[in-house]
Amino acid sequence: MRSNDLRELFGSTAFALLLLVAGPLVGMSFIAAVGAYAEASGGLALASALSPLDGILVPTLGAYDLLITFLVPFVAIHLVATEKSSGVLMLLLQSPLRVRTQLASKMIALLAGWVACLIPAAIALLLWRAYGGHLALGETANLVAGHTLRYVVTCSLAIAAASVLNGAASAAIAVLAFTIGTWALDFFATGRGGWIAEAAAFTPAAMLRRFERGLVSLDAIVMAVVASIVLLVIAAAFLDLRATTRKRLVMSAIAIAIAALTFAVIPKNRSADVSEDRRNSFGAADERLLQTIATPVTIRVHLAAEDPRANDYERNVLTKLRRTVRDLRVEYPYAGRTALFENDDRYGTIVYRTGGKETVSRSTTEEIVLDEIETLAGLTPPARGEAVYPGHPLKASPRGAATLFYVVWPMAIAVAFVIARRPYSRRTG
Amino acid sequence: MDDAPLLRVDAISVRRGGRLLLDAVSFDAHRTEILGVIGPNGAGKTTLFEAIAGFAPLASGRVAHDDALFYLPEAIRPWRERRVGWCLEFFASLFAREKDVAAIDALQLGSLLQQRMGSLSKGEARRVALALALSTPHPILLLDEPFDGLDFRQTRAAMELLRARAAPGRTLILSIHQLSDAARVCDRFLLLDHGRAIGIVDEKNVDLEEVFLALE
Repeated sequence: MRSNDLRELFGSTAFALLLLVAGPLVGMSFIAAVGAYAEASGGLALASALSPLDGILVPTLGAYDLLITFLVPFVAIHLVATEKSSGVLMLLLQSPLRVRTQLASKMIALLAGWVACLIPAAIALLLWRAYGGHLALGETANLVAGHTLRYVVTCSLAIAAASVLNGAASAAIAVLAFTIGTWALDFFATGRGGWIAEAAAFTPAAMLRRFERGLVSLDAIVMAVVASIVLLVIAAAFLDLRATTRKRLVMSAIAIAIAALTFAVIPKNRSADVSEDRRNSFGAADERLLQTIATPVTIRVHLAAEDPRANDYERNVLTKLRRTVRDLRVEYPYAGRTALFENDDRYGTIVYRTGGKETVSRSTTEEIVLDEIETLAGLTPPARGEAVYPGHPLKASPRGAATLFYVVWPMAIAVAFVIARRPYSRRTG
Repeated sequence: MDDAPLLRVDAISVRRGGRLLLDAVSFDAHRTEILGVIGPNGAGKTTLFEAIAGFAPLASGRVAHDDALFYLPEAIRPWRERRVGWCLEFFASLFAREKDVAAIDALQLGSLLQQRMGSLSKGEARRVALALALSTPHPILLLDEPFDGLDFRQTRAAMELLRARAAPGRTLILSIHQLSDAARVCDRFLLLDHGRAIGIVDEKNVDLEEVFLALE
């Protein structure tokens, strides 16, 4: 593939700045995480359940969340917007290079850029191992994959925005507006249930949270890939300056319709739990029992979204139930209201229904909820043992990390940038 | 000049934002000919080129050409971060060709090959753009203001190069606002005013300034 995109990306000041920032940002997160992990490892109660996924991986890689949200869009927009404004696009459109090839080349260049951006994370994880820290391959790879998917979606969105709109500034505003919109949707959908919660589960931040919990979600992966393809199809339609407005709109509408159809038919809540502590799964005996319930299970949660119990219940119980029970329907009757000031006797109760029977409970504790549902379904709750996850406490200090991330990395990037931009020898003359 | 038209523009109109930018413009261009499109600012020269190249949608009319055409827009400065030598090699390679050494020499680009595109003056960037266009294999070239920013010597050198490139069978269509330049290099002239083709001037010795003033 003949293309300039890799050179353009790696030679651009915007990308150099992204790389420059990535090191100290990842380093800062890593150093803070190692310190906090060491502190937590000192307390016996906490230490026994300490997981490097929560303690080290998520906070360290969390730095990429910031990079992807605030810096990566500008780098991707730069790739497209400069081609549009400098006349390159018009020249390339008259060459044998097809628009889709040009876009593929941009995505390949951006993925190569992502690999370079991940070097600080790789250094952090190697340091962690050198300190004697534990890493589980499955949850580590899954989290990196989650950030990668988020990166791909963000790049596709930025490319689409830069293709549709005139000017890099307009494209940047559009991408940031989209991001803020997804945050608003995420916040608004909390504790509401229904279609809005279903849609909010597919915002980039919400999808990433699943990976951070150690879940490999089929629907999240499929929707991220489909969204990226749709955005690139829209980009292709608008980058083809010879296409009529009608053709561009028809292509975009078809792509969006395919995405909507995929969203409608994709099986939700199909996921694999790759977390080492199996935090997204009930015990094997409970899972087998719950999977035998053939009738729909309806749960009516009389809790406001702002109530910590609702959050606790959603995180620790409903997430697991959604993965296990075949037909689970969750209702939030207080959706959209605080309900905290209403004199409703039902507030705080959770109503379970299945097979024409109903039971009410106030507990959000996993074992009690399981007993309620299994008994309601006419099943006998199994004997449950203690969780066997041993935890991986480690009292280590982040030695050498500050020098590597705050001194060596920025210097290496600066030197690489100067070398990349220095005059050629006579080879092109 | 070959009699069979290589490019036939038949009553094309372009409308943008409710404004009629081109109004039923027709003309032919033949093999080996250099056709100049002249007209005052806002006459529709760039729109005409964009319409012929397919970058501006036609409201009506049609453009017919059996051979491929290449359009070099005005005032482009591609790949600002890359060096001139790289740009020339890269662009030619897209068409599976070598960089056009003869054009590089004729346009005096040899000393600029190590320079970044972004550091070039307006005239230097225009000469590089001309070299890019000439490195394409397309039999029809549409060049929008090819001599813009060039000094007298450079303009003469560029004209000689264009003539040499038209002779073997290429068709060049140039939009030129400098009438003296147009008179020196073009075989025929299409007069454009307010989006309409006022006429075709077939004679080389006609006083273009008089014609131009008449358009105003």
